[in-house]
Amino acid sequence: MSDAHAEHFFSEEQREQAARLGMWVFLGSESLLFAGLFALYAGYRAEAPALFAVCVHHSERLLGSINTLILLVSSTCAALGVAALRRDTPKRCAAWLGVTILLGAGFLAIKIYEYAKHLHAGIAPGNATTFFSQYTGGRSTPFWTLYYATTGLHAVHVTVGIGVLLFATTGALRGTLNATRAYPLENAVLYWHLVDLIWIFVWPLYYLA
Amino acid sequence: MERAARTRAHGLHLTIAGVSLVLLAILSFGLSFVELGRLALPVALLIAAIKATIVLLAFMELNRERSSIQLALLAVAFMLSLLVAFTVADVVTREPVTLNPKETGPAEPVPFHAQP
Repeated sequence: MSDAHAEHFFSEEQREQAARLGMWVFLGSESLLFAGLFALYAGYRAEAPALFAVCVHHSERLLGSINTLILLVSSTCAALGVAALRRDTPKRCAAWLGVTILLGAGFLAIKIYEYAKHLHAGIAPGNATTFFSQYTGGRSTPFWTLYYATTGLHAVHVTVGIGVLLFATTGALRGTLNATRAYPLENAVLYWHLVDLIWIFVWPLYYLA
Repeated sequence: MERAARTRAHGLHLTIAGVSLVLLAILSFGLSFVELGRLALPVALLIAAIKATIVLLAFMELNRERSSIQLALLAVAFMLSLLVAFTVADVVTREPVTLNPKETGPAEPVPFHAQP
């Protein structure tokens, strides 16, 4: 082991296990970050279920569903990229990661378009908009504030995930990531799968039911 | 030859998982147009839980991780369930606030969520 920074590890295997554990603990902490928003949703929905139903009815169901398919396919591509690296085919790995990154960028583009549509319709964070008096009889609910907070935070995670995957893609192309040292990519893709996991639950809560 | 066969099998396994996820998403999308009443959200979340399980096992390979990591993830799921359950329990079991008629006049309680 020639890396001076790794002297505190007994072996490369231990270094890999430490990195893997660290990434899973990080994913757990990110899950609890979103858990607060999901708990708020549950609480407010239990308080005013009819108002939430009205708001869900006005969500962009088709755009949200396309974004769901995008993330599911991107997760599949990312997993196939990891498999390609483990098979010692880094160029194929980079290709799969490239598709994943493009799909992630597509997700963000659709999200921005969706936000623009909402804002144009008068749906904004907070309750002081004409939308509420028109469709909810003047009653307010934090559905849209929660929507912007949750999907906005998720979009930040998607952006970070794209950056991490870009970094991993260059590593695969340069050879710093390979079949014997695949764990940095595996950890990066674990983060991408978490982004997908969060959206899997955001989609039914804010778009479907 | 055997390694190549295992590699192809693993790739096929991942592709099948991906196709399953897409089909479940299409099912969930289709069911959103069906009037399920109070079952709409539980059904949607059940399908979401199945998709999440596929991602965790097939893509994130949680079943191959060490038991300490699996326990940590179980703890996350447990804490999330506690947080949601107690938040909802708090909200649905609240009594309406009864204001003192001498101070405010109206005898009807004003629920928290009813805002002008």
